[in-house]
Amino acid sequence: MATLPAFFRRISGTGLPACLDRPGNLSHIQPERDPFRLRALPQEDVFFHCKKIDNSRLVREADPQARGACWSAIGMACVLLAVLTSLLVPSVAGTLAGYKLEALRVRERQLLYDKRTLELQEAELLSPQRLEKLAQRQNLVAPLSGQVVRLDAKGDGAVAMVK
Amino acid sequence: MVERRLAWLAGIVFIWGAAIFFYLISLQVIHHREYSKLATAGQVLTVEIPAARGTIFDCNGRPLAMSVPTESVYINPLRTPDLGVASELLALVLHLDRAALYGKMKWAYDHHHGFLWVKRRIGSEEAQNLRNLRLEWIGIQNESQRHYPKGTLAAHVLGSVDFEEAGNAGIERALDAELRGKPGRTWMLTDVKRRGIDSQSASDARPGMPITLTLDERLQFVAEREIAAAVEAHQAKSGSVVVMNPYSGEILALASYPTYDPNLPPQPGEDKAIRQNHAISVPFEPGSVFKVITLSAALETTNLRPNSMINCGRGAITLFGRTVHEAHHGYGTIPMALVLAKSSNVGAIQIGMRVGQARMHQYVRKFGFGQKTGAPLPAESAGKVRKLANWSKVSLPSVSMGQEISVTTLQLAQAAAVIANGGLLVKPRLILKKGNQAAPVEQPVRVLKPETAITMRRMMEGVVLPGGTGTRARLQGYTSGGKTGSAQIYDPVARHFTHTYNGSFMGFAPLTNPAVVAVVTLNGTHGSAGFGGLAAAPVFRAVVTEALRVLDVPKDLPDEPPIRARAAATADADDLAIADIGSGQPNILEDADDEDQPAVAQAERPLDVPSQPEGLIAPNFRGMTMRAVLAEAAAKGLTVLPDGSGIARVQVPPPGSILHQGERIRVQFAR
Repeated sequence: MATLPAFFRRISGTGLPACLDRPGNLSHIQPERDPFRLRALPQEDVFFHCKKIDNSRLVREADPQARGACWSAIGMACVLLAVLTSLLVPSVAGTLAGYKLEALRVRERQLLYDKRTLELQEAELLSPQRLEKLAQRQNLVAPLSGQVVRLDAKGDGAVAMVK
Repeated sequence: MVERRLAWLAGIVFIWGAAIFFYLISLQVIHHREYSKLATAGQVLTVEIPAARGTIFDCNGRPLAMSVPTESVYINPLRTPDLGVASELLALVLHLDRAALYGKMKWAYDHHHGFLWVKRRIGSEEAQNLRNLRLEWIGIQNESQRHYPKGTLAAHVLGSVDFEEAGNAGIERALDAELRGKPGRTWMLTDVKRRGIDSQSASDARPGMPITLTLDERLQFVAEREIAAAVEAHQAKSGSVVVMNPYSGEILALASYPTYDPNLPPQPGEDKAIRQNHAISVPFEPGSVFKVITLSAALETTNLRPNSMINCGRGAITLFGRTVHEAHHGYGTIPMALVLAKSSNVGAIQIGMRVGQARMHQYVRKFGFGQKTGAPLPAESAGKVRKLANWSKVSLPSVSMGQEISVTTLQLAQAAAVIANGGLLVKPRLILKKGNQAAPVEQPVRVLKPETAITMRRMMEGVVLPGGTGTRARLQGYTSGGKTGSAQIYDPVARHFTHTYNGSFMGFAPLTNPAVVAVVTLNGTHGSAGFGGLAAAPVFRAVVTEALRVLDVPKDLPDEPPIRARAAATADADDLAIADIGSGQPNILEDADDEDQPAVAQAERPLDVPSQPEGLIAPNFRGMTMRAVLAEAAAKGLTVLPDGSGIARVQVPPPGSILHQGERIRVQFAR
């Protein structure tokens, strides 16, 4: 068959057809052929050439410019990220801080409410009617005039003594 | 060709980018306002911050009325997804009747009402439970609720508020503008879950101004306790007490009975008299207490002096066809000082006639009667003093005895303060401070000369001394002065005087430099036991004793054993101001005199007036062992505080001292 492998075989060998590649053939009669030219298609003027490239001597080496380009790209990406972050983070932080602030405000209002409630409870507990009932239960009476002696604070450290 | 294709691709990308850019311009610039409004409507909540109503304090900074924040629940029935589910949920959380709530919601929905209160002033736990549901159609509004932590204390002075926290009585109403704050508004930026991100105050809330009254909580309580007990004991209709500082005019206590609890709304069928402030709104005929005014006018305008002899006759005087009797018997000719001490009606008329109509009217007005005192309480009565042109021939005798004139308890206290402070008319004050600023004080006006006031004080001391009509008002350890009054109440329907009285006592203590003035009035007492000296004087004693203790006034008399309730009630009953003003009508006293004699004898011990216990004397423990001291103390019912060990060397109070109730004896032991 007129296939490329067949053509390649021919290239790798004498390039002659097998029927002709025998001792005593008349190959010395035909002129020397281009070894890379493939057998021509019948009634075609298109000639294909193939070439075997031997890459066994090729060595992979790093592109000295690729490293710089890579780092540049990374640097650009970081800068871009930093810029975006610096633009977005305050906004996000502000929102989060706003949540905390509002929660603290709610807490403050709640504490003020609790404080008022406690003040009310304290006032109710200290009402004269209640204190009177407690005093009666404890057999206590209101002091009379002169019974209550208020000791004035003295700066010289004097203390009350029973002599 | 490749370049052409690349160019086409670049063109398409560029057009696409440009379209996006122009759309952004359209959104962010051209339609910015419109979209911004939509965003704001969805994200920004307007929160109203209620302003707390100002707290009302007593003069020592103790709160008498205060507001506490609370929350109320509302819904928009038109936006509620399912009324049945909503009513069930809300009834469960708020402990309401589901059927009733559903009915209200359905009615509101059918009538296109976009707002419905579900429950007002809920607890914090209920509010938190509702918030945790995070339902948009439930609204919670901050409100405020007024509380009066001392219950009925000073109810008539404080007043009350309605459901919208607007004052409707007392100081709450008089100073509503100052007490009521101004609510603020805050815009809150919220996220999709309605959590607040940021808030900005649109208008600051201004809390109500705190008001400090001149009332002393302790004195107010004692005054209310004592007047309530006296009204109950004497089966009177009502009573009132006013305690005042005679120099500054500060009202230390203003009690009115019956009273009410301002925390509770008015009950259906409740007696309206309960909410009346009898001390300022209900005038009455003062009776014999008004003789103080008569004698003051006499000292100022005539040459009468305390030792001037007044002819009181045989106990009756007839003027212009009218006969006026003494309470029981005639006094003959007695000094003017005794006219006051004995409360002689005839003597007072004689003195009044010497003063004359014009000057009597002048001094009545000078003492503040017939005009409001200016106390910052609504519904104050000016009392009634007839214009001089309308005085009849019997007006002068009547007014001299404290009849044909009506006054309030507060006006009497103001008048008593004139005597107590040396002759100056001081306006009664109820407001000590508004916020941090002291309330302005009006300049006093001179009514009497200082010597007249001092002379009146000395004469009024005679009322509380033995032989006077107000011995039950006498204080332990303090000098005092006063005047009793027992005005018979006139029945306009039957057109005669009844046997019910307005018993009152007006006084001050101590005598030389009075610290307090107090007026006690009981309206509608019965019989001779309801006279001022028997019914009102003990209340005066109890209230003023406490007032002098609270104010730390030093004693000006040595301690002596407490006075027993004794059978000198005859003297206490002699201040009855009686007149027969109906022409042609029988003088009821002529018929009732015989009845009153046994009644006076029966008034030896007033109804339910507690007698003072025996005064205990401190025994001498010196030289005794601790065991002996404790045994003797236990036997005598005394409380001993031992200190040290050994033999008793020193004791306080010393042996022989009078022990007050509850006083303990400290005994120092040493070897």
